[in-house]
Formats: sequence, C-alpha cells, structure tokens
Amino acid sequence: MKTVKYVITDPIGLHARPAGLFVKKAAEYQSNISVKNMENGKSVDAKRIMAVMSLGVKQGNKIELSIEGADEDTAEKELAAFLKENL
Amino acid sequence: MGFLNGVFKKKELEIGSPAAGTCVSIKEVPDPTFSEEILGKGVAIKPSEGKFFAPAGGTVNTLFPTKHAVGITTQEGAEILIHVGLDTVNLKGEHFTAHVKEGDTVAKGDLLLEADLAAIAQAGYDTITPVLICNTGDFSDVAAGAAGEVSTGACILRIKL
Repeated sequence: MKTVKYVITDPIGLHARPAGLFVKKAAEYQSNISVKNMENGKSVDAKRIMAVMSLGVKQGNKIELSIEGADEDTAEKELAAFLKENL
Repeated sequence: MGFLNGVFKKKELEIGSPAAGTCVSIKEVPDPTFSEEILGKGVAIKPSEGKFFAPAGGTVNTLFPTKHAVGITTQEGAEILIHVGLDTVNLKGEHFTAHVKEGDTVAKGDLLLEADLAAIAQAGYDTITPVLICNTGDFSDVAAGAAGEVSTGACILRIKL
C-alpha cells in the first residue's frame, strides 16, 4: 500500500470542480483508493464524488490518500502530481 | 396499462425539481464543471423563487458549510447534488439559509435551503441551479424529464435503476 499526504492550497477546498477532476483521475486506476480528511478523521472512497465532497476538505486541511492494488506505484506518483498541480 | 405501470414503476426513480422555475439542459450551464458533466449527468433549473426543496426522499449526506450546495442520497442509492448558483461557494454562506443539517432524513418536498436570489444576482453571481446525479455510472440511464417551466416537485430527471 502507498500513501500520499497533501495540504490543500485551493481557496475553495475540495469542492465541485476540483473534487470532480480529482475523482475522475482516481477512477483511472484499478487500485482501491481512499481519501481521508486528517482534520476530522473521515475517510471515503476516492472514486465517489459525493463521498469526496462530503469530507468537507477546506483550504489548509491535510488529506491522506491510501492506494492499494496492481497499479499503486503509478497511481501514487500521478495522483501526487495531480494534487500539486490542481489543489 | 395499470398492470404494466406496476411492473415498470420500481425500475425508475423520478427526481423532482427542487424549485419553481425553468428547466434547461445541463449543456446550457456556463460552467464546464457542470456542462461537461464532470460531476455527473443532470439538468439545471433557473429558479424563480429562492426556496429549494428535497427532490426526492433520502438522507442529507453533504451540506457545505457555505450552504450553497446540498447532497441527498435516496433509498435507491442515487446521489443527488443541488448546487445553487455558479461559483457561489465564494459567497461563504452569505444570502443562504439552511433548513437541514448533514445526517437528516428528508421526504420529497421538505425545505432544504433558502437563498436570496436577488442579492446573489446583485453580487454578480448566476443563480442557475444544476441538479445532478453524482453517481450516474451506477445506473443504466439518467435522462432529463422536463424542459421549460416547472413547478416545485415536477419530474425533471428519470433514473433507470
């Protein structure tokens, strides 16, 4: 299993557009991917939009991705890059 | 026909309009997040009144602290997002009043949110309200159920279960 830690810098947090793009990206991988809001400990399936938005991730919040599966190495690398670029 | 209606009824879920107004295609929403269906398939309502009601019965599983968007999961598992206005997250809750909280169970037609549409428009925001099925992929089809004038609760989306 791989983990990615990231602090959200987007001023609106993990909301509509960024959340949608993130979920779309996460859905590209076979691996099971969960995302956790470290502020409240809530963890959800990163491939479900409503669940990701319900985390209530705001700017400055730390999130942690847990990635497990055949393509976890690629997913770790690419999702870390995606977060940096978009969130 | 009554017999056939009974057979087919269970396989389709009708989503009601959360507000009175005009129902338009999601493609007409001037924000690619919605028009490109990044968050799922749906329609948009140009609301004529600032009261938003539950489009179906279910559980409130997302209510943004900014009160401009609410997510409801129905018993059938449809995840409905109602996003009042575009970029209205930036209003940080101003002009919005929530009448529910996360975890609440609602019946179709229960009041969810109130929004001061005039004030939101005056602040420079479009009040067009996308109504989406976030987990579109879980269903065989999500199709628009109306176009033009709609009253609150009128069917605007049909989900094939």
